[in-house]
Amino acid sequence: MNFKLTLLLLLAALTFSYGQDNRAFKAGEKLIFSAAYNMSGILTDVAEVRMETSEMNTSSSKLLHLKCTATTYSSFDSYFKIRDLYESYVNPRTITPYLYNREINEGGYYKFVKYKYNHKTNRVNSVIKKKTKNTASGFWDKKENVKINGGTKDIVATIYKIRTLDIKKAPIGASDSFTVLFDNKQTKFRFKLLAKETINTALGKKECYKLAISTSGTDVLKGSNSNLLWLTADENKIPVFAKFKIAVGSGELKIKSATGLKN
Amino acid sequence: MRKLSIILGLIFAVLAVILSVLPLYKLAFIPAILAAIFGILAFLKARNQDLPTHVIQVVFLLTIISLSLATYKTIFTVAEVGDTKELKQTEDKRKEEAKEELEDIIITD
Repeated sequence: MNFKLTLLLLLAALTFSYGQDNRAFKAGEKLIFSAAYNMSGILTDVAEVRMETSEMNTSSSKLLHLKCTATTYSSFDSYFKIRDLYESYVNPRTITPYLYNREINEGGYYKFVKYKYNHKTNRVNSVIKKKTKNTASGFWDKKENVKINGGTKDIVATIYKIRTLDIKKAPIGASDSFTVLFDNKQTKFRFKLLAKETINTALGKKECYKLAISTSGTDVLKGSNSNLLWLTADENKIPVFAKFKIAVGSGELKIKSATGLKN
Repeated sequence: MRKLSIILGLIFAVLAVILSVLPLYKLAFIPAILAAIFGILAFLKARNQDLPTHVIQVVFLLTIISLSLATYKTIFTVAEVGDTKELKQTEDKRKEEAKEELEDIIITD
């Protein structure tokens, strides 16, 4: 009996972990979100988040360009202007990343991070650049060669990878973890399927998978079950709603529009 | 009690007006409601004691202004992103760089 149960659980975990090829999105997909920040219990829309995919052809291969941008609304620009770019160039089939760029401009703070992956040696060539007054160029930069585990991805590739998982076969309570390389450190993110819920979104009433996200070894995400993600329970698995609780506060991310969907 | 209510009412009413003109206008509802509560308290006390209500009227006036402004903005303000020219330039620049960097990539799996 115990053996059967273990086998069943193992099978369930495996089906959740190893989804087939990418059937969730294609080049040309554009998702637009509105990010709201919780201020004294009142949610205020502060920024627009865009997630776009496009094709990138090199002389030898075809890659998928995953791009996420965050832009504060004009009314907040004079107080705290955010112009963030997160992008990853991945294998369109397996979402294995080859190049990652992160360029953030947040209220005068600037940071640029670039990872070039070498999957044969499991190493990443990392470049981190920051603004400083101490050097003649005005920039401080650090080049490093970081050792990674097989399967480690950047944050953008991980978000899209979750969408390719075969969640419909996973039972409620099933979980999976992903190693994310962020600021040259590998962090384990755990995703747990909490429930199947129907929620109202800008795209209409949608049946969704409710996932809880947690981290281990870092305090980026606060609270247990405070970071939640709702993915539509269809082949597209569009992230329609998210609740987050981080060190500087909490908020929500709501979808405004979705175009160029694969299914 | 009446004086304290007037002072608190005034403070919250001024705070509500300030917040209602800022982008955080939704936060103005909290001090505006508090200002109204203290205003009513002060008004009732003043009426019982037959004292003037001029300052209390100012509290109500400021509360009404802040509430109207915040409500108007909540209903009619359309959130729009500002100037993204620089971000677009950054995106294009990074894309050009990426194309060069990825030229030698061979996808194995």
